[in-house]
Amino acid sequence: MKNDTIVLALCCHYCAYAAADMAGSMRLQYPPNIRVLRMPCTGKIEENYVLSAFEYGVDGVMVAGCLEGGCHYLEGNLRARKRIERVKGILEEIGLEPERVEMFNLSSAEGPRFAEISTEMCERIGKLGPSPLRADRSRLKAGIEELQAEADAVLEGEKR
Amino acid sequence: MIVADRKQIPELRDMIKDFDRVLLVGCGTCVTVCLSGGEREVGIIGSALRMSLKLIGRGDTVVDECTIERQCDDAFIDALAERVQEYDAVISFGCGVGVQALAERFPKTPMFPGLNTQFMGLLESQGVWAEKCAGCGRCRLGEFMGLCPIARCSKQIFNGPCGGSHDGKCEVNDDINCVWQEIIDRARELGMLDKLEELAQPQDWSTYRDGGPRKVVREDQCIAGMGPDAEEGVQ
Amino acid sequence: MAAPLPNMAAVTVDGRTSQVPIGTTILDAARQMGIAIPTLCHYRGMTPAGACRVCLVEIEVGDSRRMVSSCSYPIDGTLVVHSGSDAVLEARRTVLELLLAQAPDSQELKEFAAELGVESTSFSAAREGRCVLCGLCTRVCNDVMGRGAINLYGRSSERTVEPAYDETTVQCQVCGACEHVCPTGAIDLSRFSSELSVAHRTGYDKYLFKRPNIEMAHAQAAPRVPTIDRENCVYFKTGECGLCEKVCQAGAINYDQEEETLDLEVGAVVLTPGFIAFDATKRSEFGLGFCDNVVSNVQFESLLSASGPTAGHVLRRSDGNAPKSVAFIQCIGSRDVGCGNEYCSSVCCMAATKEAIIAKDHDPNLDVTIFFLDMRAFGKDFDRYYQRAQDAGVRYVRSFISRVFEMPDSKNLQLTYLDSKMKRVEEEFDMVVLSLALVPSPTLREKSEMLGVDLNQWGFAQTIDLNPLDTSRPGVFVGGVFQEPKDIPDTVMQSSGSAARAMSLLASVRGSKVRTKAPPPERDVTDEPPRVGVFVCHCGSNIGSVVDVAAVVEQTRDLPYVVLAEHNTYTCADDTQDVMKDRIIEHRLNRVIVASCTPRTHEAIFRDTLRDAGLNPYLLEMTNIRDQCSWVHSADPEEATQKAIDLVRMTLGRVVPLRPIREQSVPVKNSALIIGGGIAGMTAALTIADEGFPVYLVEKESALGGTAKKVVVGTLDGSDVQAFVSRLAERVSAHPRIVLWTGSRVTEINGHVGAFESTIESLDSSSVSVEHGVVVVATGAVEQKPTSFEYGNSDKVITQSELCEKLARDDLRLPSSATIVMIQCVEQRDEERPYCSRICCTTAVRNALQLKEQQPDLNVVVLYRDMRTYGFREAAYQEAREKGVLFVRFEKDEPPQLTVTDDTISVRMRDLSLQRELTVNPELVVLAAPIVGQDDRQEISDLLKVPLNGDGFFLEAHVKLRPVDFSSDGLFLCGAAHSPKLISEAISQACAVAGRVASILSKKEMPISGQIAQVDVNKCIACMTCVHLCPYHAPAVGKDNKAEVQNAACMGCGSCASGCPARAITLNNYTNDQISGAIESLLWAGSPPSSPGPIYPEKTGISQTRWHKRALEGGDQEADSDQ
Repeated sequence: MKNDTIVLALCCHYCAYAAADMAGSMRLQYPPNIRVLRMPCTGKIEENYVLSAFEYGVDGVMVAGCLEGGCHYLEGNLRARKRIERVKGILEEIGLEPERVEMFNLSSAEGPRFAEISTEMCERIGKLGPSPLRADRSRLKAGIEELQAEADAVLEGEKR
Repeated sequence: MIVADRKQIPELRDMIKDFDRVLLVGCGTCVTVCLSGGEREVGIIGSALRMSLKLIGRGDTVVDECTIERQCDDAFIDALAERVQEYDAVISFGCGVGVQALAERFPKTPMFPGLNTQFMGLLESQGVWAEKCAGCGRCRLGEFMGLCPIARCSKQIFNGPCGGSHDGKCEVNDDINCVWQEIIDRARELGMLDKLEELAQPQDWSTYRDGGPRKVVREDQCIAGMGPDAEEGVQ
Repeated sequence: MAAPLPNMAAVTVDGRTSQVPIGTTILDAARQMGIAIPTLCHYRGMTPAGACRVCLVEIEVGDSRRMVSSCSYPIDGTLVVHSGSDAVLEARRTVLELLLAQAPDSQELKEFAAELGVESTSFSAAREGRCVLCGLCTRVCNDVMGRGAINLYGRSSERTVEPAYDETTVQCQVCGACEHVCPTGAIDLSRFSSELSVAHRTGYDKYLFKRPNIEMAHAQAAPRVPTIDRENCVYFKTGECGLCEKVCQAGAINYDQEEETLDLEVGAVVLTPGFIAFDATKRSEFGLGFCDNVVSNVQFESLLSASGPTAGHVLRRSDGNAPKSVAFIQCIGSRDVGCGNEYCSSVCCMAATKEAIIAKDHDPNLDVTIFFLDMRAFGKDFDRYYQRAQDAGVRYVRSFISRVFEMPDSKNLQLTYLDSKMKRVEEEFDMVVLSLALVPSPTLREKSEMLGVDLNQWGFAQTIDLNPLDTSRPGVFVGGVFQEPKDIPDTVMQSSGSAARAMSLLASVRGSKVRTKAPPPERDVTDEPPRVGVFVCHCGSNIGSVVDVAAVVEQTRDLPYVVLAEHNTYTCADDTQDVMKDRIIEHRLNRVIVASCTPRTHEAIFRDTLRDAGLNPYLLEMTNIRDQCSWVHSADPEEATQKAIDLVRMTLGRVVPLRPIREQSVPVKNSALIIGGGIAGMTAALTIADEGFPVYLVEKESALGGTAKKVVVGTLDGSDVQAFVSRLAERVSAHPRIVLWTGSRVTEINGHVGAFESTIESLDSSSVSVEHGVVVVATGAVEQKPTSFEYGNSDKVITQSELCEKLARDDLRLPSSATIVMIQCVEQRDEERPYCSRICCTTAVRNALQLKEQQPDLNVVVLYRDMRTYGFREAAYQEAREKGVLFVRFEKDEPPQLTVTDDTISVRMRDLSLQRELTVNPELVVLAAPIVGQDDRQEISDLLKVPLNGDGFFLEAHVKLRPVDFSSDGLFLCGAAHSPKLISEAISQACAVAGRVASILSKKEMPISGQIAQVDVNKCIACMTCVHLCPYHAPAVGKDNKAEVQNAACMGCGSCASGCPARAITLNNYTNDQISGAIESLLWAGSPPSSPGPIYPEKTGISQTRWHKRALEGGDQEADSDQ
């Protein structure tokens, strides 16, 4: 069956995001389910971000920061690891597989590692299947239309 | 400061699963400081709670969040009054005082606690809080170099340490510092060891909880017709 | 369908229509539209032949359909094409099966067919071999290379590719183009030419494997521009080919570029030409260049690199297998009198250790052995790293290897060595790594006359110990290995130091050649509703060939707040930038999304574009649809396009709540506070003052000079340290820009980079307050008096520094043939003090040489564990041995035994090379005592909130890249407070600090990044969480009992914001609504990207109910509003 799950990747600017770029320049192939969102440092990642991502229906969240001891901001990645552990605990409490979220560490020079962890995460989430919290994707279109009307109203108001 | 920690999500979910519209109310003072009931934590619980409800097929439940300045004062609670009517139930993320304040103010709204209120204490290091005061109603810290054997000694001994004190730790648990060791160390430092030679008298517990719920009344502060009638003083 | 423009044709491929110039092939048109059509014999830039038929498509002709090869069919009017119809797929399957039968041995073809879903052929094999007779090779040889060396001969099953008469031909220029273009791996060049085909190897992967003629110097080259190797390029040799020019869609190839000579007038020159690796052919007995499985350490590093030619897999070149055992041989060309390289290359011991650890990390079963002479782990934390390697199972064998013998069959390598029992052992290894010496470039030797600088006997720039940055020519400075072999931190330090020396010289003309750009005034967009412009980039074919860019634009155009969406071939091109500026103004855009490559390289460019168009630069966000989409999902264009659409929509959610950020700046107090008046402190003070900045120098002792004043007499090259220290002290005292406090301490430092305020307290407790922009810690280190070896119990047992003092005062009074025993590594490199004091070996050699000079008949015996006379100090070690100083090694577990009875000292030890006990009765024993940090280091550490390492030395921001900075901005470090070091190194480091400091002090105002934390005072409850979390001590609770972030100290990591329990802190450019906006719109969970609300609502009363965002969806309340 086609793996149409969505994995949100929260990547720190200095290491993981750079490694993702390097995977690109090396033309390494990995599953297209990954959506990267850049963070200044994994230490900026609040539990809320990860939980709300699940609430909105992503199927998995991958948090990727610098190697331990190599955080550009000294210890942001260590804090992130603990927060992700906490999120796993909360997911377990509510009955969602804690494996849907994972923290990885890699250096900016590890393009292959980025491809590897992305593949690992996509495969893992593919096996777990879509999140039971996932919104019907058809809502997307309806949502956009609704919002378009709203935005139009705002822009219209401006014209007047 | 009052220290509390969060309840498990399934417990909260089961409290409110029969309601359709639920409001989570955070409190901006003690429980925010001890990272259990402030805006951020209520946001986390809110998110987890909504997911948890959806997973048991109650995804249509509305779970909204807000945080007020202080739950232990009507002035701040009043701001909520109009909106609370829109909800079938409220979970308070204040301490036990906050929950009851909300319950008394909103007699028609089922009220639930979001936290387990633990003790009066303070931050030991980032992420660690320790109990310091038992609220006994008759403070004797002056006798004990400013460190409380009621709140901090496992046996509440007034003439310590006991035989279970070893290497500055308590026999109950190595994570507990022996407060009597600390009292003696501090007395030595202050040159007041002789004060500890005197036998400490037993505590008069009548001011503690044995006499039922307590009240503090300041006659001079009472506004006519609003204070209690009696000359009870402290009960 | 709209009528085509003149000279344009309208083509519809799979239902999507586009306009292309008349004559465009169907294939090119489809690829521009992001529709992939597989090809085998198509090669971009070459005239298509339509030979393989893999690219078949259907075109509509009247009412019927016809099959054509898309690569060669030109579009000349209106055309409707079907690339994925059942008929096409069926025809392609048959074509592929036929091709498989044609070339049954081609692995490449099998993989190609399998990707298209054809796993096997139902036809029986027509012939053997790998050739499908597509003729691409003959076309490239004839049409592109103009050679005609090969052609298709014969008919039917006899048809083959071969030179005329099936003989090798001189027509073949062995360019390898045929081999390169062949899609099925069928070409064997040796059939075409008798000339040996030599792989073109380049420095890109350290000459390991075959590389193209046109490429970048290395993966991280700056600028990232490829160059053509003219020596080997067919175009430059024969005028033919020119394929790269045709292929490059950006038109960047320019064959006419010539080397240019520029004349510059400069006030100072810094020489940093680096080094090259030792030419291993001078030591051919080690087999580099002859044995496939012998590689240099640089090549091995390249094999280990994740971005290297083997993606980090170590493999043998002889058979491509992973080795099971690797041996490192150290000192190839270093410490080698035979090649005239008497010096030590300083870096190889640690480099080999690092490579060994990485190789073991990669393959824990790999056996790694390092054959070495002395383990020179002399730098900060090096011994710990050495220990870690041993714990990880790296085997260290102290033995000199004299040759490498390649086993003829296995291509394994046999080494012969002596083991710890002095027994001869022969052992085979799968791979051998040679640690090649660092040597100066020979071309520099030729140019040294032109440069006018003296070189030393080995071709390095000649400097003196007390002035390590200046060459023999005034105004010409030197940095890095060109001065002496050194590692990265030392190189960074020395080069920063050279920059400072140049700045001192040029202080009077600073800034006189700087031109500044004046952007137009910034438009105030705070009250405007979001108007988003989306620019989607094709990046030539980098994005466009995979992602359907037009579809991305189409899907984005109707999203909320988007008023403009368009696509560009190269969004970063100058003309597109101008278009963007026009669009921003014309459409009154106030948020911009650029969907292209990575913000890491292009964000700055587009921010400038916004700024030039009068927009705040922070109203931009980039979406990476190249590095993180088209490049990594090229096999799945459909999914890649969907992902690109999702990513742009996600970015929209983030972009709508963006707010303009005004970059602030803080005024800079252009003076420096230096703590410590030793050699490092004084050198830093003088250099900074010479650069033109005021200096406050605080020394706790009553006089300047520090540790050096008390102990050191001369350097290895004979310079007089005492005279030097006195001279420094005089200059410091007399310098008009230096204010000196001796007998004083700094008791308080507040503020941040650019604006510190400190209290200096003198001995009489009077105190003064000073303001300054930076702080330099130069508190030094001291010799720790030993407690072992009867030190203190006999006046015949002294330390090296005490010996220095005695030598300086000339009161040794030893009998002419007395014996002196020096014991190295006393109370260091052990469990308690697991570090090396770096200077003791050099000091011992220096003192031994001076003793021998004064009294040639003295017997000097040095008992050592590893002689760490790195760099040019190795030559002095050599000299000492020649002069008869005895060096006897001992093991850590078997230290010498010293006993004192009456007036006699007896030292007993085991000589490891003789394998027997020795006893000496020396007249004097000299101990190499450890160097330790000052007693007040903790106090300084607390004062500045800077860390100490486990050994009690201050810890820099980054060991390699920021060796003199602390992690908090504006705080710097030099001298022995950083780690034990020689005077020349302390001077370099002090100058390095002066260089780094000038980058701050030379500014009147220091810009602060806009990405900093801000506190909403209405929400702050002063819980102290941010204060505890911030690694830079930026937040503090201020006068109003609310957290305040010092803008200049904030690094923008967001630790405080993510920890704040009241969510009172936001990180600019990464606010909660921006991040949740992105997450929400990725899945489009129902809420619109929220338009930005007021940043700080005014405080209006006591009751502040903060409705969290969710609760707003139903109601009509406003975010953050007060009820």
